[in-house]
Amino acid sequence: MAKPERWQQVSRIFESALALEEDARANYLCEQCGTDESLRQEVEKLIASHGNAAAEGFIESPAVERVAGLFEGDVTEKESARLQKGQSFGSYLVLDRLGAGGMGEVYLATDTRLDRRVALKILPEDVATDKRRMQRFALEARVASTLNQPNILTVFEFGEAESLHFLATEYVDGETLREYLHGTRLKLTEVLDISTQIVAALEAAHEARIVHRDIKPENVMIRRRDHIVKVLDFGLAKLTEKKASESGLGTDTEAPTEFKTEPGHVLGTVAYMSPEQAQGLPVDERSDIWSTGIVIYEMVAGRVPFRGATSSHTIVNILEKEAPPLSQWAKEKVPDELERIVRKALAKNRGERYQTASDLLIDLRNLRKRLEFDSEIERSTSPGIVAATDSYSRNEETAERREKMTRGKSSGKTIGIASAGIVLVVAAAFGLRAWRQPPVAVPSPMSPVATASLPERQLDYWITVQKYREGKPFQEPFRLAREINFEKDYQVRLTLRSPQPGYLYILNESPDGANPLQILFPSPTANGGSALIDENREVHIPERSWFKFDSEQGTETLWVVWSIAAIAEFEAVKKFANRDDLGIISDNKLSDSLKGFLVETSADNLKIEKTDVPPQTILRSPEKIAVHAIKLAHN
Amino acid sequence: MSKNASISPHEITQLLAEWSNGNQAALDKLYPLVYEELRRLAHRFMRRERKGHTLQTTALINEAYLRLVDQKHVHWANRSHFFGISAQIMRRILVDHARGYLREKRGGGAQRVSLDETALVTKERARELIMLNEALDNLAKQDPRRSQVVELRYFGGLNNDEIGEVLKISANTVTRDWNMARAWLYQQLSGA
Repeated sequence: MAKPERWQQVSRIFESALALEEDARANYLCEQCGTDESLRQEVEKLIASHGNAAAEGFIESPAVERVAGLFEGDVTEKESARLQKGQSFGSYLVLDRLGAGGMGEVYLATDTRLDRRVALKILPEDVATDKRRMQRFALEARVASTLNQPNILTVFEFGEAESLHFLATEYVDGETLREYLHGTRLKLTEVLDISTQIVAALEAAHEARIVHRDIKPENVMIRRRDHIVKVLDFGLAKLTEKKASESGLGTDTEAPTEFKTEPGHVLGTVAYMSPEQAQGLPVDERSDIWSTGIVIYEMVAGRVPFRGATSSHTIVNILEKEAPPLSQWAKEKVPDELERIVRKALAKNRGERYQTASDLLIDLRNLRKRLEFDSEIERSTSPGIVAATDSYSRNEETAERREKMTRGKSSGKTIGIASAGIVLVVAAAFGLRAWRQPPVAVPSPMSPVATASLPERQLDYWITVQKYREGKPFQEPFRLAREINFEKDYQVRLTLRSPQPGYLYILNESPDGANPLQILFPSPTANGGSALIDENREVHIPERSWFKFDSEQGTETLWVVWSIAAIAEFEAVKKFANRDDLGIISDNKLSDSLKGFLVETSADNLKIEKTDVPPQTILRSPEKIAVHAIKLAHN
Repeated sequence: MSKNASISPHEITQLLAEWSNGNQAALDKLYPLVYEELRRLAHRFMRRERKGHTLQTTALINEAYLRLVDQKHVHWANRSHFFGISAQIMRRILVDHARGYLREKRGGGAQRVSLDETALVTKERARELIMLNEALDNLAKQDPRRSQVVELRYFGGLNNDEIGEVLKISANTVTRDWNMARAWLYQQLSGA
């Protein structure tokens, strides 16, 4: 690149020379450049380039026009269109050509019998030769459309006209997910919105024993007017797949490795194929779960997890590589739960995958609720005092719901500490799969592993109090070292910390002990639903708000369980930390057995030290599991 | 699922005003909104008008402008600012697209083997666009104004008068800048 002065000089001479008649230029250049030969050559070259650029119309028409083809996505214009605009076709009138997808050409048409708009899909000819397959497809297409699930594209008719097989379906004015994505990444809320709709469609189809077999962004449409997602082509993959022997992959007939579309146009869909599909093995519903996992991955990451220079390379990657974590590509923070969901959907062994679309749907919906809720909280609260005032009003509703939930109580008393609205409401329906272990009747402390001299375990905690007057925070919050008698309108928060990592569970027992226990930690918003706490990490309970005492007087017990390993019995009750149960372990037998365990274990070898500076309680125990009861008296 | 539902036309108008008064932070907020709007419009226009019609870049940007801003507080100064930024954004959208297109064609996600001639042309043009983009970046290093003239005209679809308005130079200067820049870019791209 030229020096600035040189550049100025070149451009000045160039512009002046250009303004002259051609025959005057040579003289002008000699005059201006003198003995500087390279300067003269440079300007001459530019003048020549100017002439060529003008003659060729270089960058003359706007860029958008020139690269319009980039926007056409998968739709390629073919001269060999089988139907023409304005043509009658059976009882349909062809209005426009919508494009050519993997499964044939698609036209917009009017059904003249019913005067409704439809999308007409003309199936590739070679597909239509196998009668048995056609019948099976006709059946599946009909069954799928009778499911009447809003996310499944409705099939009106499957028929033949002018010796062409066609499918008449609901017309969706919108774009395919492929077009919608267009190499970009979507926001998490949008990803969850779209994926829950895809999985809802699968759930309904799978219940009717229909496997899609070809879930990919091209087969998902997003309706323009309301962003409703429609999954296209149920059962079509089965119809159009080539026999595996033809595609040279395995010997079974189940692998839709390549779909023949139009002559000379082979559309590969390997990137979305499940490992069993890629190996030509029989597929079932779980193959759709895999492909959906890839689609979710792509929406977040902007790329599919398994790629290769050729289809064969891609297949090898599908079979052997692990998908890189989403966080590696995503532009926003990817919740651990989403990583987990995708990982589970993409388990190589289908026995380890989500077994049903319903299970996947539950996890996706819960995550969506959590994100919605979190963002609501972010909007409506800031940490500390503000959270308390904000959540105060919500508390009424919470208490009411809790009352409803406390089964078997004739008095309808509320129990325990009514959370200041946030933690328990937020303990929403995030039925994380790991939480759904079957509850066991009798808690058994973990089986002894190596008993050899464990280092002493330590857990520090303190309570912060926020006084309230007439519903408003009063004075600054302060830390307590020792128990006090809490007044009715005090709000409290418990903070814990340990120099070692470990598993923490906190449960609340009401004053008269008659109510079921309530799990306060972990909750889906506190520590992402995990009981595992890093060393020196302060855990606030509730995380962003305050506990508020209810009107029932007495002494609340907060049971703190600090363990070197996860305890299955407590992991099992995490499932109650959801929007409906509000943490209340409504299974009385289970709750009672946990209480028994807590009381029994709390005496074990626990050293309790209280310091005033800083105000805190230090628990020390040589045991693998330490249990301690924090008493909060309120009158 | 609307991607920019949270910002009102009034706020966008405000941001434009702030930006034209020299507040760079306002531009940071505007950029993604305009990007999104233009991307959507470009897609829509492409699909609707690709048969035979030529696409009017200015019409596209104008529609984006009308959709984004508060009609009651439109100022011409803001409008030319908007066109300036839009050209820059269109450039990015197209280059991003071209890159994505080539990535896909190279055999990424959807392994596509296409013998389609239009696809080959598109591929060629995508490459060309990326090269032009780089050359334009190089031009900007030594002659930012000439690079801007190209950006406004080629990516923003503005005519010389409009470019002059945005850059506060005369239409004649725009023509001279264009000639020099185009010749230089042609040279770079043709390897002459």
